[in-house]
Amino acid sequence: MKIRTLVVVLFCLMATPVWSQAPSSAPAQEKPQEKMRYANMPPSAVPYGRFRKPYYNWYLDPSTLEYDGAARSIPEPALNTLKTINIGFLGPLDQAPTPYKVYGGSWNAPPTAPSSLLAEGNPNSLYGIHMLHGTELAIDNANAQGGYKGKPFSLKVYDDAPLWGNASMAIVDMYYKQHVWAMVGGINSASTHIALRVTLKLQVPIIDTATTDPTVTETRIPWLIHNYPDDRQQGYALADYVFNQRKLHRVGLLRENSHYGRMGFEEFFNSARRLGHQPVVAVKYIRGAKDFSEQLRTLKGFGIDGLVLWGNAPDAALILKQMRAMGMNQPVFGSSRIAYPSVIKIAGSAANGLFALSAINPDRNNPEWLAFRRQYLDRYHEEPDAYAAYAYDGTNMLIAAIRKAGLNRALIMDALRDYEMKRYQGVSGTAFFDYTLNNIAPMTFAEVRDGHFVYWPEQRTDWKNGDPLNAMR
Amino acid sequence: MKRLLCASFLLTAGLLVVAIGVAEAQTPPLYTKWVNYTTANGFPEGEVFSVAVDGNRIWAGTTHGLVLIEDGRVRRVFTTADGLPGQAVMAIAVDHQTGDVWVGTFGGLSRYSGGQFKNYTNLTSGLANDLVYAVAIQGKYVWAATAGGFSRLNTDTGNWTIFNNQNSPFLEPWGYGVAVGPKKVYLALWGGGVVVYDIEHHYWRPYTDPDGSMEIVLYRNEGLIHIIVSSIAYNPATKMFWAGTYFGLSGYDGRNWHNYLTKDSGLASNFINAVQTRGNEVWACTQKGLSELDFKTNTWVTYRPANWRALDTARPVKLGRGEIIITRPDGSKRTIESPTSIVHNYILNMAFQGKDIWVATAGGLSHGIRQSDKEEKNNESASNRH
Repeated sequence: MKIRTLVVVLFCLMATPVWSQAPSSAPAQEKPQEKMRYANMPPSAVPYGRFRKPYYNWYLDPSTLEYDGAARSIPEPALNTLKTINIGFLGPLDQAPTPYKVYGGSWNAPPTAPSSLLAEGNPNSLYGIHMLHGTELAIDNANAQGGYKGKPFSLKVYDDAPLWGNASMAIVDMYYKQHVWAMVGGINSASTHIALRVTLKLQVPIIDTATTDPTVTETRIPWLIHNYPDDRQQGYALADYVFNQRKLHRVGLLRENSHYGRMGFEEFFNSARRLGHQPVVAVKYIRGAKDFSEQLRTLKGFGIDGLVLWGNAPDAALILKQMRAMGMNQPVFGSSRIAYPSVIKIAGSAANGLFALSAINPDRNNPEWLAFRRQYLDRYHEEPDAYAAYAYDGTNMLIAAIRKAGLNRALIMDALRDYEMKRYQGVSGTAFFDYTLNNIAPMTFAEVRDGHFVYWPEQRTDWKNGDPLNAMR
Repeated sequence: MKRLLCASFLLTAGLLVVAIGVAEAQTPPLYTKWVNYTTANGFPEGEVFSVAVDGNRIWAGTTHGLVLIEDGRVRRVFTTADGLPGQAVMAIAVDHQTGDVWVGTFGGLSRYSGGQFKNYTNLTSGLANDLVYAVAIQGKYVWAATAGGFSRLNTDTGNWTIFNNQNSPFLEPWGYGVAVGPKKVYLALWGGGVVVYDIEHHYWRPYTDPDGSMEIVLYRNEGLIHIIVSSIAYNPATKMFWAGTYFGLSGYDGRNWHNYLTKDSGLASNFINAVQTRGNEVWACTQKGLSELDFKTNTWVTYRPANWRALDTARPVKLGRGEIIITRPDGSKRTIESPTSIVHNYILNMAFQGKDIWVATAGGLSHGIRQSDKEEKNNESASNRH
């Protein structure tokens, strides 16, 4: 018996290899991950969710944006060596006439002309100027409260020109020439991606208050926080509303031929497909076009029962007018850049019945929002838009972070990173930041009724109280 | 029967000894002696982004200029005042045929030749963008990975060619890395995966993340692990290319992909700033240390300071001993200490000099000197702390 046992033991020992058999053969050691759906995605929108559990899920734990570099140990400069505490700004402002002379250095007197008069060149400067105004208000309010230990905050404004070869150097300039402690911006997702890659090397915190590109927060670069509702959130909201709540089946897509249009289209398209309602047709148009008859005839030919439109308000207004003129009375659902008063102004009665996502609810009676709105109106003689509100909130978050952390960029970013899985109450509403530091709070819907927008909060069909898979539970 | 049993026992014991010996031998040679270059011995403040070996000379790219090391000493720091187009030096490539040093900066590309810098920018040349992340030499051609695409300069004719999403199968134009093989050029794209250019036949082969989703890895060895690729390296010995991403490491041998995450390997962090390779070795420059994969044996070795967590805090901390973590294919780990340490855990790039390595970190430049086998054995037994 003993001999047999010994033989068995010896055999087992001989049969057990102590060297590797092949590369990549190590057993997977499952790291327990939190039970949560990334970005609050609907269960039906989970990639391959009906077929397979992924080998690995990103963005679901605190290691998502961890930073192990050396920047925390950089000593603070002596305060008496600084005249101002500089903050960079990158946004589309070009061709704005004086007093908006924007150059690489510091930007001088605050202009008061309405943004609509200033945004004649780059169409995105309409949003950029609002964004700048919101940033400036926050800076001025902070300076009225003593700035940073008595030193005023100073904005260093850079134009995000359409030729982004130029804008790509902006953050390098901000770092080496302006010695900024952080940057606010931008709208253009390409410019933001470029700035993001630079800041991984130069280590300047970025508070992005305007781009809708969801991939900006999906890079794991730990130097950016983003508060504007992105295309992923917009895509989920629209897909749920169109298919689950409105019960439409033959939806067509019409989108601007740009990075903005492409990213939004992809997010909506993927959500729709996973919900089992692949759009029946998708067509593009050039931003600023006047005649959309070819696209509309194509859409009509496919017998669509609803249209999802991803673009900007002036184009959407013309599309609505031409649609109705062609006898196409299908409901139209738009992205957040369409929920602007200009769509009603241009489209007139054709805008009635338009549903669009909105990044803010300007009709709410929140005291902070009302105070901001009043201050903005008094100063700029126009209503603040979502870009102004999110820039104001983002800049306030940044100022609070600088005051908390001191003049060390890594510690400022740590203070911003403290918002992970937390809420922030601002004038734009209540933000909630996930582990990628992206705001995934519910959006607002807007509908044009009798020539006015009526707003209501997004309520997705998959949301249930206490849902453990909901990131905002 | 007793004789038979005794013989079996001896045979088994012998096999075990051999096997253990083989397993021990599978640990790659270790680097336990480090010589560091920091502000204390002439380096500029900030990170060291890049390093290149030029015979006995070492070039290092930093936040504030280009550093030349000769005979173990910092000889010179070149800045914009000396003619560099940008202060932040992201990439360095030495043309061993001409002796020219090509420097990629946040401000353009520069050729250091005969003691002079000749600069190439977006406005003055065919450089696609002034943010240059990587440079590689392919015979008479110089490739530059820029934020606006890839530029290729024919140094014989002075002609430039730009490759971007307008004329090549790139999802995005953003160049991040470039490596040259004998027949192909390997391009790393931010948001565009890896694109391989066949030099002889002039065609492209793109490789992207097959699951198409930023937020998941569907299968372990499904293909390129993520579409955001931070760097690329080609290994002529194994004919494989390796892609470093912020989402793990991917290698392709022409038939199969070999992907590694921290959860299934000895990789120190999934956030990889750069990848380099020689022989059977693949080196991943991560933010939690320098990880080496011995591909043949699937054994990992990670180097970082023993007190690396303290280095990342606001408090000034003195560098102490080094930490070496050996991860076996079965997942078992052994940690040993070395008397000297790599200067920081945040690794940005590295280069080979014979058996030695030079490592660019957030805290300075480190020279890893390969110890002899005898020294290694003594060191392991003395410092073993499991």
